[in-house]
Order: sequence, then C-alpha cells, then structure tokens
Amino acid sequence: MKHRDRVLMALNHETPDRCPMQVSFTPEFAARLAKEIKLGGDQLHNPHGGGNTYELERSLDQDMLLTSVGWANSYYQDAEAYIDEWGVGWRSVEYTTPYGVGRYTEFSHHPLADDQAIHSYQAPDPNRPELYQDTEWVLKNFKDEYWIVGVVVTTIFEAAWALRGYEQTLTDFALNPDLIERILDIPYQYHLTAAKKLAQMGVDMIWTGDDVGAQDAMLISPKMWRKFLKPRMANLIAEVKAINPQVKVAYHSDGNIYPIIPELIEIGLDVINPIQPASMDPARLKRKYGDQLCFWGSIDIQHTLPFGSPDDVRTEVLTRLETLGKNGGLIIGPTHHVQLDTPMENFSAMIKAITETPYPKS
Amino acid sequence: MKPIIQEIYTCILEGDANLAREKVQAALDEEIAASVILNEGMIFAMSEVGRLFEEGEYFVPEMLISARAMKTGLALLRPHLVAADVKPVGVVAIGTVKGDLHDIGKSLVAMMMEGSGFEINDLGTDVTPEAFVEAVRAGANVVGLSALLTTTMPMMEKTIQAITDAGLRNKVKIIIGGAPITTEFAKEVGADGFAPDASQAAKLAKSFIG
Repeated sequence: MKHRDRVLMALNHETPDRCPMQVSFTPEFAARLAKEIKLGGDQLHNPHGGGNTYELERSLDQDMLLTSVGWANSYYQDAEAYIDEWGVGWRSVEYTTPYGVGRYTEFSHHPLADDQAIHSYQAPDPNRPELYQDTEWVLKNFKDEYWIVGVVVTTIFEAAWALRGYEQTLTDFALNPDLIERILDIPYQYHLTAAKKLAQMGVDMIWTGDDVGAQDAMLISPKMWRKFLKPRMANLIAEVKAINPQVKVAYHSDGNIYPIIPELIEIGLDVINPIQPASMDPARLKRKYGDQLCFWGSIDIQHTLPFGSPDDVRTEVLTRLETLGKNGGLIIGPTHHVQLDTPMENFSAMIKAITETPYPKS
Repeated sequence: MKPIIQEIYTCILEGDANLAREKVQAALDEEIAASVILNEGMIFAMSEVGRLFEEGEYFVPEMLISARAMKTGLALLRPHLVAADVKPVGVVAIGTVKGDLHDIGKSLVAMMMEGSGFEINDLGTDVTPEAFVEAVRAGANVVGLSALLTTTMPMMEKTIQAITDAGLRNKVKIIIGGAPITTEFAKEVGADGFAPDASQAAKLAKSFIG
C-alpha cells in the first residue's frame, strides 16, 4: 500500500493494512539513528526543517513527510549564539545523557520585550520564493508516494512569546490585551500567508499549532483562548480550506487541552496532535471525539520511550492501536521529537510494533 | 478583618498592582502592624489564588498578575517587616537544574512560596549543583529543583547528591517539580517531595517547615 493511501484511509476513519506512522527526532538522536542503521549522508537533520533529505524517515517506512515554513525553523540553527530573522536571540544549552551530549537552542533575547519596540518592528517577509524551495522539492519527488504535511506550527501564540517573552505574554493577556493582540498578529499573518501558499502548492495537510496546555491543565483559560487565539485559528483553517477543500488541518498543543477540543472541532479541525498520554487519556478522547476527529501521536516521550523497557514501549503501541486507532483515525508516533536519552532498543521496539502489527480485518 | 486589609486582599486576588501598593501604604498610614498586613491581607489572598488555581478557575496569567500585585505590596512592606523583626517562615533556594532553561513553572512556585511567607533565593535557570549547595550553606532550609526536560531530570539526582556530599542533606527539605516529574521519580532520586503545581508546592514547603 502506498504511504499516502495508508494515511488517507486512516484520516477517513478506515483501517489500512497497518496504522500510519510519523516519527521525528532531535538532531542528536537522528545522527545516532543514522549510524545505527548505517545510513550514509552527512547532512544535519533538523526536525523543524531546512534541507532535510527524508532518508531517515523513508528508511523507517514512515508515511508522512513534513516540510516547514515559519518561525519554528529558527530552532537548532547553530551551536553558537545567534539571532534569527525575527530578531529573536538564541543560545545553545548542553545536556548529558547515557548516549552522549546534546544541546537545545533556547531564547536569549526577545525583540518586543519593550512595550515601544512594536512601533519600529519589521517582521520577515513570508512571500520570499526561497522559503518554499524545500516544499517544492519534496512535493515533486515524494507526493506520489507519501502524505505531505506543510508545517506552520508555533502559529500565533508560541512565536509571539518568542518575540515578547513568555511571562510577559501571559501577563499581557490579563493586563495589556490591545498590545498583545498586535503582537499575536505578527506571527499569525506570517504563518497564514505561509499556510495558504503551502495549500496552493499542493500539500496534503497543514500542521498548525501553539502550546496552550500545561501538564495537568490549560495554560490559559478557555475564555482567553476564545478571545485571543480561537478567532485567528478559525480563520486560518477556513482560508486554507477555501483554497483546497480536500486539505486536512492538524493542530498541535502539548499538554492538557480538554476544554477546547469541542471548539477546535467546531472551527474545522481534522487532526489533533500530539495526545500526551500523561496529560489526556487517549481512550477517553477516542470515546468522546473519535467520530469527529483524528489523532496523531500518543506514544509517551516523558516516561515510556526514555525510561521504560522495550516491552513497555510495545505494550503502549498495542494499547494505542486498540484504543485510539480502533477503526482508523490514528497516525501513530511519539508525542515529540525522539530525544537523545531514548535507548535504541526502545526506539526499535516502537517502530517494530507499529510496522509489524496489521490492522484486524473488519 | 479591617476594611483596608480586605481591600488589599481583593487587589491581590484581582491582580491590581497599583491599587495594591496604594492600599498597603494606606494600611501602613493607619498604623496597622506589618505582620497583620502580610498575614491577613497578602498571604491570605495568595492562598485563595492557589485554591482558585487548583480548582481550575485561575490559570497562569491570573496567578502571574496576582503575584505581581503581591510583590508590589511586599516591596513597600518589607522595610516595616524588618523593623518589626517579622521573620519569614523559611528560606527557599529555587532554580531550574543545570541544562534546563524553562523557568515559568519555577517562577510560579517561587511566587506562591513567597506568597505563603517564605523568603525566596531565586537562583534562576541552568543552575549548577554547586550553586544549590552554596545556597544551602547560606541558610536555605528548603530547596526547589525544577526540570521540564527528560534530558535534564538526571541533573536533579546529581544536585541532591551534591547537597548530600557537602554534608548538608539533613539541613534542608528538597522539593522537585516539572512536567515529566512524578512522586515515584522524587522517591527514586531521594527528594523529600514532589508537587504537581505551584500552589501545592507552596503548601508542601510549608508542611515541611511548620
């Protein structure tokens, strides 16, 4: 079965031969994996895009290929300190795992931290043709075979907090709504333009998102989400679907976002990601929303993948296939990039359980 | 409760920093004891903020602006607390462990602990085990360690080990928290406790000291 047909069937709530799979990795895990499976090539893998060859994805028999345009591509740009084209300052912070040293890029400067800075701020131009070269390449080479996802995550809120600062953005929601509305509009307009362009180019799905969930509850109240984020997200989904009614839209938020799921469905969402199982119960989600929504993710990276045994990983995969994946509606994979602290046996157990478990014939 | 204390309580609950400053000044002008303003106005209000947060009525923005109002009032009150020899309930040294820069959770915990009467030594982000050890030597009797990432969780154990190696483990209670942290993990690494949110972390710290 073609990869894209497998995904399309799952999204139509049908059962393909097996559950479709999507897995991303941090650059360090990707390098370790490439070595493990003896893959050639010396290109750095960036989970947020920029010159990816998709060799790893394809050799693992994944079904979706991701191509990203937007602020999220600012992650992992350099090991040294750098300023991205939005003016956001970054620096690398190292961590040590049993499998080596890795680094995350973290913020060091927010260009709109000062209330007045917005008056002179110039956002980057989302219409530059070079931003879409990778997408053009992946569509040309792989669309026949794979389900192609145009990525515009960190769509509104996350990119805004990079510009303004996290705590300040959250404070502004309560105290300075006019200013934060203007700041939210900057990444929103950029990513809206990018999403429309990606839809026009022919991607199969647009992946949008902002982390509005914390581990056990929403970060902001549903009321604030309705005021600041929902109308923009609703418009983005509507505009993308006006360009191509067949295009699917996926939304990413870490954590617990139970209270807004019915409203995400109401504004036209097709797929929700990543279903962090320590935050939201996958079986409950399937029961409540399984006929209106598809799911993407659900394999725990906070406990099972880094700290569980291969058996734990296998059991979790099988449980998800039986619950969240029942009668289709699931693209399975880890809830975030696989990190360097993940034992290779656990990773392999996950891939094996996903690719070798057929759907029961209905 | 005196009307002015009730007003301070309301300003903090509603996150109105300017009015909180004004009302604390008015209370001082009325010669109300600093300890009464602190305990009956501010700490009482922050405990209500914590309750509303735990019940899902308040979220992070509401907690942030309440804490900001409390801090504004507290800045005005502090010299009076010192003059009246009002001691904090304890000293908390808090930070995100080395390698971890994600500090919103740590900051909320620090705010809620300050709002329950602790003095806070906020060591910031990416804090080395040695810096935590130094803070304990300097008098902290509670240590708060925060990590968002699974890749920095092992640094919690290393930090606790460093405090133990320095011979200081029996001088402090150690609380850990962060998205991937669980009670089991806290036991494994030898922490005294885990709290799932800022409000419960403050209560836990108080239960250790009280």
